[in-house]
Amino acid sequence: MFILDEQIAYNSGEGLAIANIIELKDVRKVYRVGNEKVVALDSINLTIEEGAFCCFLGTSGSGKSTLLNLMAGLEKPTKGQIVIKGSRIERMSEQELALFRQKHVGFIFQSFNLLPALNAVENVCLPLTFRGVSKEIREARARKMLKDVGLETHYRHRPSQMSGGQQQRVGIARAFIGKPGIVFADEPTGNLDSKTTMEVMKLITGIARQNGQTLILVTHDLGIARYADRVIHILDGNIEKIEENSGNVGVNQ
Amino acid sequence: MAFGFGNLWRRKTKTILTILGVIIGTTAIVIMISLGIGMNENFRRELENMGSLNLIDVHMPYRGPGMMERGGPIKNARLDDKALAEFRKLEGVEAVTPIAQDYMRFAAGKYVTDISVIGMDTAVMDKFDFKIDKGRNLLPGDTTAVVFGSQAPTLFYNPKSRNFYGMGGSNPVNLISDKLLLTMNHQYGERRQSSSGDDSKPLKVYKVKGVGVLQQSNDEKDYSAYMDIKSLEKIIAEGRKMQRQQGVGDFSPGQGYQQAKVKVKDIQDVQRIQQHIKDMGFECFSLSDILKSMQETALGIQALLGGIGAISLLVAALGITNTMIMSIYERTREIGVMKVLGANLNDIRKLFLLEAGMIGFLGGLLGIGFSYGISYLLNYAGLSFIQFMGPVGEGSRMSVIPAWLSAAAVVFAAVVGLVSGFYPARRAMRLSALEAIRTE
Repeated sequence: MFILDEQIAYNSGEGLAIANIIELKDVRKVYRVGNEKVVALDSINLTIEEGAFCCFLGTSGSGKSTLLNLMAGLEKPTKGQIVIKGSRIERMSEQELALFRQKHVGFIFQSFNLLPALNAVENVCLPLTFRGVSKEIREARARKMLKDVGLETHYRHRPSQMSGGQQQRVGIARAFIGKPGIVFADEPTGNLDSKTTMEVMKLITGIARQNGQTLILVTHDLGIARYADRVIHILDGNIEKIEENSGNVGVNQ
Repeated sequence: MAFGFGNLWRRKTKTILTILGVIIGTTAIVIMISLGIGMNENFRRELENMGSLNLIDVHMPYRGPGMMERGGPIKNARLDDKALAEFRKLEGVEAVTPIAQDYMRFAAGKYVTDISVIGMDTAVMDKFDFKIDKGRNLLPGDTTAVVFGSQAPTLFYNPKSRNFYGMGGSNPVNLISDKLLLTMNHQYGERRQSSSGDDSKPLKVYKVKGVGVLQQSNDEKDYSAYMDIKSLEKIIAEGRKMQRQQGVGDFSPGQGYQQAKVKVKDIQDVQRIQQHIKDMGFECFSLSDILKSMQETALGIQALLGGIGAISLLVAALGITNTMIMSIYERTREIGVMKVLGANLNDIRKLFLLEAGMIGFLGGLLGIGFSYGISYLLNYAGLSFIQFMGPVGEGSRMSVIPAWLSAAAVVFAAVVGLVSGFYPARRAMRLSALEAIRTE
């Protein structure tokens, strides 16, 4: 469907000057459960370059989801700095964060999270709606996005009328429609069968690489982690190890 | 923001039930207030039937011995030409006439009747709503002319006839062409005169001329006769003198007039002028006194009825709040998703306020439609019920919905919706995006 090899080759090329899009410095997150403190993230130091495809791999409770939430500005760290595109997002107000997410962040959820009252086109439109893009423009773009993910026959379908794979495609179209710099995907294939998983993963990586977008994926599935340029293993709130996948990612089976 | 409607539509049952609550609340308020307005209108109409609302009756203050004991400064007010001239000078007064009144007997051939004769200033008669049906009105200089109320002709009877109470049928007298006699002797024309008058001179009989009959007015005018006050006072004075010689009655001339009527140009001024005249030391009365107290009563009832309606709208408002809060619980995830996708806090608040306002507005709109229906039913079916309790004038309606009421009701319902949606909207706005999208 996509010419993956060519793009991977482009992205993994060594000589390109690539800026850091995400920088985490000493990030620590402690939850308070009753009287007990639970350390979700101990001390994370990490930089991710623009256009990279990173996968956070870990068991449940390892803190990988917390890390994603912190980077997306959904939660504030207990300590440390999170710099995304040069801004300290842990210092932003909720209003600023909303604007920030509007401009720079796309989101793909495990449970799709489409709005049941809206049809496919309207769901895909949402991020543009919040930006205040006019209806004609955003719907035209949404239709093009849906066509790109292979749903040109389902423009007017509501989420309840679509299969899981189709819903996730709508979710992907929605995440990418605003051309965000970073796309976060939280177990995007967790609710899908293995065949659909492959299709969906190819779709996500394909679009992200085509546009040079940074893709941050969280999963516990080793098979999915193999699609990424870099796999960051998380264990008990710390980075256990970082693996670089040299080339051939996604087609090495 | 089109998905506000989508959401309302998706949760049809709940939305419809909530809107129904608002409909009932709005209808209750509107119907209750419309009943109050209808009542007010009926009061006014009834009073207008009773007489003109912009007339003030002025009397000499009561100066009985009791008054002296009670103390207080008694102004030496006298209802004479000087006082009347002062009334005329008051701003807003259209016309003033002195009034003299006595109960006298008219005779036309063998027919007689005893009716109230009212003396007025003939120059201003047309200002006091005297509408002529036949003949003409009184004019200055009409010393012996009399104008009769519309029912006066039917009151004549033949005292010598056996069943003289059998009135009706054709009017035996033509008041304008027949020769008329006026006297204070109430036995005039009877077969037997009562014994008391045997040894005295009979009361004088005056020749008068009927010049006109008034239009029917459904008040005391129909049963009265009108003539020039100077002539009437002369007749009364002579009659009293005669009676005093016989040892009856007590009449001291030169005390001024018995009463006066003041016509005010604008109903709004009646209360003010009335107060003014009271301050001059006279007793006053006008129908607007009754109207005022009736309106106060109506206002009280209206407030009570409106209160009952308001309670149901309050319940409806709670219903809206409840529906919206439930809706937040149901849509926690949606709200979270929207936040994650970059929805402004304002967007989310707007969405919820819009939904709540929409419920209020739709409920108000439908409620108004519903109210008009109920009002129509009340006016056509319910009127017979009121008539059962008392007579009502023509065209009276039980419930009146003026345009301002329906407009206000819709606006009010929408505002109630918005206010009820305010708390849920805040809640939705503050919802943590993370909590909302948590998969577990």
